Amino acid sequence: MAAPLELFSWKGSWGLPSVNTECLIVLAYARFAGVPLKLHKTANPWGSPTGTLPALKTGEDGSFSQPSKIIIEFRKQKYNADFDLSAKEGADTLAFISLVEEKLMPALIYTLWVDPKNYVEVTRRWHGDNIPFPLNFFLPSHMRRQQLARLRLIKGNEALEAGEEVEKELYHDAQECMDLLSQRLGSSKFFFGDSPSSLDAHVFGYLALVLKIKLPCGQLQQHLQSLDNLTQFCSNILTLYFPSELDEGPAHKISIQPEASDLDSGPNKKRKQLLSLFFALGAMLSYALLTGIVSVEHVSIEDSRESQDISEGQPGEEDE
Amino acid sequence: MSLAAEAFVSQMAAAEPWPENATLYQPLSDEQILLSDNASSLAVQAYLKMCALPVRVSCRANAEFMSPSGKVPFIHVGNQVVSELGPIVQFTKAKGHSLSEGLDDVQRAEMKAYMELVNNMLLTAELYIQWCDDSTAGEISRPRYSSPYSWPLSHILAYQKQWEVRRKMNAIGWAGKSLEQVYEDVNECCQALSQRLGTQLYFFNKQPTELDALVFGHIFTILTTRLTSDALAERVKGFSNLLSFCKRIEQTFFEEADQSSASSLHSKGPSLL
Repeated sequence: MAAPLELFSWKGSWGLPSVNTECLIVLAYARFAGVPLKLHKTANPWGSPTGTLPALKTGEDGSFSQPSKIIIEFRKQKYNADFDLSAKEGADTLAFISLVEEKLMPALIYTLWVDPKNYVEVTRRWHGDNIPFPLNFFLPSHMRRQQLARLRLIKGNEALEAGEEVEKELYHDAQECMDLLSQRLGSSKFFFGDSPSSLDAHVFGYLALVLKIKLPCGQLQQHLQSLDNLTQFCSNILTLYFPSELDEGPAHKISIQPEASDLDSGPNKKRKQLLSLFFALGAMLSYALLTGIVSVEHVSIEDSRESQDISEGQPGEEDE
Repeated sequence: MSLAAEAFVSQMAAAEPWPENATLYQPLSDEQILLSDNASSLAVQAYLKMCALPVRVSCRANAEFMSPSGKVPFIHVGNQVVSELGPIVQFTKAKGHSLSEGLDDVQRAEMKAYMELVNNMLLTAELYIQWCDDSTAGEISRPRYSSPYSWPLSHILAYQKQWEVRRKMNAIGWAGKSLEQVYEDVNECCQALSQRLGTQLYFFNKQPTELDALVFGHIFTILTTRLTSDALAERVKGFSNLLSFCKRIEQTFFEEADQSSASSLHSKGPSLL
């Protein structure tokens, strides 16, 4: 590979390498397969090459945002975590990924973005604190609208709103799904023997979020905590493949600031300074224009005309 | 169907035995029904036949609007109405008819996972081909879907449906896929099913389960439905064990009904039987 792969991902919190399922899946897969990545952890989706997170920037093929496409791209570069799987295990991988996407994803969208209490106290707060100014004012509510629309279309219910009945149905499906995963995992370390595969990455992406984020309405978390092998599975992957996050875990409140500035480094800081300068200038100018200082501009134009006349006149006089 | 209603239904259901006059409703089978609805309907019929529960198939032009969840097929049993395979399986279970009792925990997990695989990939691919491929939508799906209605309404309903499906494809990230990629996905899904089935009679040894019914419904319908091109059926035909699996289920469970209901499915199906 000529150019290194660059991955843009939501930054982490709560002892997780990222706060977004899809980013977690991609990160876990990359660690499992040993992909060398230049990692940009950010809280600004507009800074990614595709406008969403996660995004993979490759040298020749452009950028990708869907986790499945990113994983295919990793495989093209010969980093394959599923290399050792038999054909039947490959089939099981597809099937269980479908199960998780159909049953667990809607509940996770609901619990993070639609449930009003969780959204206001945790999701919006985190995004408001971390997304850079001025995006943090409208991006969280924009993301919420997107997720709600997505959930409505997935469930085929145009009028879906936060409510007890919807919640019950979604959580019932999700809890059943967790039970099934727990039964399938049994007492083994990973889903297929001793080394992790793409199915482990997918399951980890969903369950780690459920396990680690402390939500005021945490039925999913309570249920997951009752399934010992799944919680063990998640913490295993965290300790084995993301040891640095665990150290930062307890002290994440303090470490967020330095972490962000570390990763955003020099050029970003300068860019921020420039941006704020432009913003201040823009605000001052528009204030000036709006409050009738426009006349000053007219005067200045006339002034310059006068001075031009003078300067045109003077050489003429000299000629004569 | 909501969970509370579901719990209520299953409570009610346990009390009564399966009646003789149970009815399954689906859109008009000759001129209206589309591939995806036909597949779902056939899956439910196969499931009920596997359970040896008699059901009369009734075709209604407005079946979709009669269904409590807006999806076909649905069954009317006694004084209850249940739609889609998942809830119907639960409903029959409450009445004491179940195909997956003999499975252990891991097998049950696998069964559910493969059922979601069929729903997630095959069903979505069918919907995509029906409504997002312009030639199929224009030549087959819209005219068939709106066939019972007269002019202004037929257009409105067909485009409304197409719009709805396309928005759903957007939400699940399929909108950017090309037709070729969708065929590739179908291939991948069939590959997985074929691997899982191997040389067994049914997906879990000698006993059919709801997974067998679901796979049969979709594969059989894909093989026997004429679309603008044969590409979809050709992808599926490559898997010989899935073909013989469909033939086997058809022989075992649909033999006597072959003259009446299944014969209409056989517009192009000499390959099976």
